[in-house]
Amino acid sequence: MNFILEGTINGILMGSIYGLTALGLTVIFGVLKVINFAHGSLIMVSMYVAYWAIIFTGVHPYIALIIVVPVMYFFGYYLQDIIIKPIFKAEKDIREPITVIIVTTGVWYILDNLTLLIFGPQYRNIQNNPLRGKMLEIGDMLISVPKLWGFITAVITASAIYWFLQKTRTGRAIRATSLDREAASLMGINQFKIYNIAFGIGTAIVGISAVTLVPFYNIFPTVGVLFDIKGFIIVVLGGLGSIGGAILGGIIIGLIESIAPMFMTATWAEAIVYGLFLVVLFVKPSGLFGVKYDW
Amino acid sequence: MTRKNINTSAFILLGFVAFGLPLVLRSPTYLHIIILLYLYAYLTTSWNLVGGFAGVLPLGHSAFIGIGAYASTILSLQYGISPWLGMIAGGILAAIVGILIGLPTFKMRGAYFALATIAFGEGIRVMVENIDNLGPLKINGPRGLQIPPTHIGFVNYMFEGKEPYYYIILVMLMGVLALTYFLSRSKIGYYLNAGGEEPEAAMSLGVNVARAKLIAMAMSSFLTALAGTFYAQFTLYIHPKSVMSLDFSFEIAFIALIGGRGSIAGPVLGALLLRPVSDFSRIYFGSTLPGLHLIIFGTVLILVMIFQPRGLQEPLSKIYNTLLDRISGQTRQGEVKHEYS
Repeated sequence: MNFILEGTINGILMGSIYGLTALGLTVIFGVLKVINFAHGSLIMVSMYVAYWAIIFTGVHPYIALIIVVPVMYFFGYYLQDIIIKPIFKAEKDIREPITVIIVTTGVWYILDNLTLLIFGPQYRNIQNNPLRGKMLEIGDMLISVPKLWGFITAVITASAIYWFLQKTRTGRAIRATSLDREAASLMGINQFKIYNIAFGIGTAIVGISAVTLVPFYNIFPTVGVLFDIKGFIIVVLGGLGSIGGAILGGIIIGLIESIAPMFMTATWAEAIVYGLFLVVLFVKPSGLFGVKYDW
Repeated sequence: MTRKNINTSAFILLGFVAFGLPLVLRSPTYLHIIILLYLYAYLTTSWNLVGGFAGVLPLGHSAFIGIGAYASTILSLQYGISPWLGMIAGGILAAIVGILIGLPTFKMRGAYFALATIAFGEGIRVMVENIDNLGPLKINGPRGLQIPPTHIGFVNYMFEGKEPYYYIILVMLMGVLALTYFLSRSKIGYYLNAGGEEPEAAMSLGVNVARAKLIAMAMSSFLTALAGTFYAQFTLYIHPKSVMSLDFSFEIAFIALIGGRGSIAGPVLGALLLRPVSDFSRIYFGSTLPGLHLIIFGTVLILVMIFQPRGLQEPLSKIYNTLLDRISGQTRQGEVKHEYS
């Protein structure tokens, strides 16, 4: 039975990293009511930033957070400010503008292929880092150390974001805008500034998740696509806009991916994930832990 | 000459050019590119029935291409049924699947609908990749199906040269354009337009928006599946990654969006402008600058969405209309300026 326990633990660890990647998506959705289709590409860009930061300085992967987080914050901030804001202004009466989906997909195409053009299609990974391939032995179970770090990071990040949104002045302004744009504007909150900040924070979280992935994951131009669809599934599963839901949704996906292959071929696990997603969409579109919106 | 005369003669001229093209253009490479261009124009126009008129964003249409391609190919390979009949069977199957997927999803709003269709399309692809035999049917999983080019002839939907394929897809394209034209001027078309713009208002006026959307979805998936059969017979090899990929669904949607969703000329115009860009950048820069066409694609997509949200057909049809005014020397009198055609 130990191998099931081992699979469960590793599934939870990997799942929490999935949840962390989806956390940025859910923060952005919570405020802008927009699903950012360029999300996977932002993970990819963050992974490249982290990769080069670690390669050039040779530091411990997690110290790269000092570089990755501010870079990605401003990347997201200006991405929203320059590209998404004009459409938002034109379409602000619609609750869930479709045009923004299309534009973020355009951003996805550009980022992925620009990376392909600049860095080439080859797989990169950080060979000599202190976390790579490390295993923790408990009894006869093997637990991956970099994933354990990822799990701890995910929990800390989610709690920090929760605290930030609940307790700080900016966090309150973000929540107010998320609840009612017009009312928040009337209270003197500059809603477009809040959108920029929310997008920046969402992208910074994406940066954190990329740093947790870099020690054990390959980096290549289309790596984001793997996390793209998965991210959408996780946030809908957990409830769009819910922080705890994103992490728990991620853990559910991680568990399915680690346990299902013990009973069937691994590729069927993917089909189960899509099936579960469709069932949740049809039965409870607000997700398992989501707030009830008016759709 | 009056405006109407010029319009008609322009259409007739265009028809002559389209039908006469293979007589002038002998290069199989260019003919291949143009056939694919028509195929994309056909697919985007079919997509437009849902994505344009019904006002939602379906991103899983390659599943219907796959259903059409697999249905006709399996029927002809294993039971010797002519692909022409298989094409109809695939279309009907796709329409049924389309209705089944439309029933729960049309209740959802914007982004949710897009996500549901992505999950549906990807789910079907993953399933096909995992199944080798479905009961008596041999699907062959990720390896796909190959059609041996042994029985050449009209009945077998298989030809020596590329010209017959050219005329088949041209007729299909003209058919779907005519259908779109009549649909946009029918009751269903008006219902769809109303439901896409203001669902609540339309419903309060007694319009059955959900039913109109389902009809559009059934037609769109039926027509898309026909293109799947064409693709299978044209390339003689199908596998899940080629006919059911997410990229394919996205490309169809984006060409239609750049051209102009909800208009008749828009999707065709989008294919006409973007397919050559992607083909030629792949031919000339494919090895030195990989992915260049997708960068162009993304940039055009963003610029069009920011500056011309109704697509490129809007400025171009304006130019066309002023040109008509100049030539005919008369302006449109008493004609209500309508924005959506």
